[in-house]
Amino acid sequence: MTGHVLLIAGRINRQFLRDRRFLGLSLVVPVLLIVLLKYVIDSLPGLIRLGANISEYSVLLAAFLVHFLAYVLATIVLVRDRNTGTLERMFVSGYRRSEIVMGYVAGYSTIAVAQTAIVLILTRLLFHVRIERDLAAVVLTMLALAVVSVGLGVFVSNFARNEGQVFPFIPLVTIPSGLLSGVAIPVEDLPRVLQWISNIVPLTWAARVLKPVIVKKESFLGSLPDFLVLLGFGVLLLALASLTLRESE
Amino acid sequence: METGPAIEIRGLTKTYGAIRALDSASLRVERGSIFGLVGPNGAGKTTLIKALCGVLRPDSGEALVLGADSRAGRHELRPRLGYMPQTPSLYEDLSPMENLHFFGGASGLEGLAGHVRESLEFVRLWDRRDDPIHTFSGGMRQRASLACALLGDPELLILDEPTAGVDPTLRQSFWDHFRFLCGQGRTIFLSTNQMEEAVRCDRVAVILRGRILVSDTPGAIEGRGRAVVTILLAGGASEQHETSDYERELPRLLKAHGLEQGVEGIRVERQGFEDVILSLIQEAE
Repeated sequence: MTGHVLLIAGRINRQFLRDRRFLGLSLVVPVLLIVLLKYVIDSLPGLIRLGANISEYSVLLAAFLVHFLAYVLATIVLVRDRNTGTLERMFVSGYRRSEIVMGYVAGYSTIAVAQTAIVLILTRLLFHVRIERDLAAVVLTMLALAVVSVGLGVFVSNFARNEGQVFPFIPLVTIPSGLLSGVAIPVEDLPRVLQWISNIVPLTWAARVLKPVIVKKESFLGSLPDFLVLLGFGVLLLALASLTLRESE
Repeated sequence: METGPAIEIRGLTKTYGAIRALDSASLRVERGSIFGLVGPNGAGKTTLIKALCGVLRPDSGEALVLGADSRAGRHELRPRLGYMPQTPSLYEDLSPMENLHFFGGASGLEGLAGHVRESLEFVRLWDRRDDPIHTFSGGMRQRASLACALLGDPELLILDEPTAGVDPTLRQSFWDHFRFLCGQGRTIFLSTNQMEEAVRCDRVAVILRGRILVSDTPGAIEGRGRAVVTILLAGGASEQHETSDYERELPRLLKAHGLEQGVEGIRVERQGFEDVILSLIQEAE
């Protein structure tokens, strides 16, 4: 099992390294978005007077980016694997569903870690947010979020016949994530119904872990229950993805 | 040593909405033989092949591959199968070497590096082993895909149009290799549109709209063809008779017409293998 997972993860990473344009875009896009955020915040000093917390924004934006990119990538690549026949060949060669899902998680976690590192370094440099003390907590949360995102991507890929059909699923996940998770609007300011719905948005739990650690400088242990819920989402989605990954027509 | 057929399918049916991709298909493939599945595009060849590989769930019927159910026993069967899909189905940004190591790695093959080299040398891609697949021509991709199927010398090779886009010289060497493997006790099940390839198989089945029209040796299928017997008479006259078995029919024809005398010649035009297959398909349509 482990050997097969590593083979799949290794293959995905080799493909990343081989596709220079894709690799470049995956690493440059987070940079551009953080720079854009810096520009917007600097142009609107009123935001800070209104009490907006820049460190909160930047780290939550990083989490949103990791979630968004890992989810979209996993969905598109799985659909492409199915359409080109490589997924079928993987099955016939002897790879099993759970190994494929875990292999994708391991493979995409590498790029998610690279994206997280870029975003955190820029956050430190541009917004002067001190995250060194909480680095382990932030990275762990981002990794858990990447696992959730890949699981969600593999699950969603079952409903798309081609890469074009993936696109309607992108806003279906990312817009509720942006609006309801507390990244853009504090959850407590949302109507009660939306607050309930926010509980089924995985990014909400990542935000609940990160906010106290980054903004209030609280211990990661205090956020452990929220982190475990996020992990629970990961386990649930991976199980769902493994069970639903179509091996046959 | 296992006995029994390499493949046995009984009443296999698969529908996609209103389309019957497989319609009570039944076949038997003996071990150590080359079996060809012939039919026009959309006849059900690929669907049948996918069912054999366990990546298609039939609506009814059963497919036994090397003695095991192709669906229920698929995990145990897979190391014993070599599969070449119709499209190359390889990672285009990786080299053939990387692709073969990746797909071959799943079966836990011992001495994988040696097997990879052997396969790539056979399909004459060893010199291009490190070039990405997207730089290859269609025929080269087919060769890389075949190399992947050959990895580890599997007991049963299931090949979906293996020589499509391959040049005649290499096609000949593919067939020489298939015969060699067959001599080693391996079984080869392949689909093809090429009649000159089908005739090289030990047995051939013709499929149309998911139904197996006939399954027999190429010689026996050709023997089903009709012949036109033209009896050339003195003075330039002639008589034509169409018969399915001219060797038996000829004496009767001659006697019936009182033509023991004065026959100057007999011309027999028999249907070839391809004509017989086309006739079978036309009759069924």
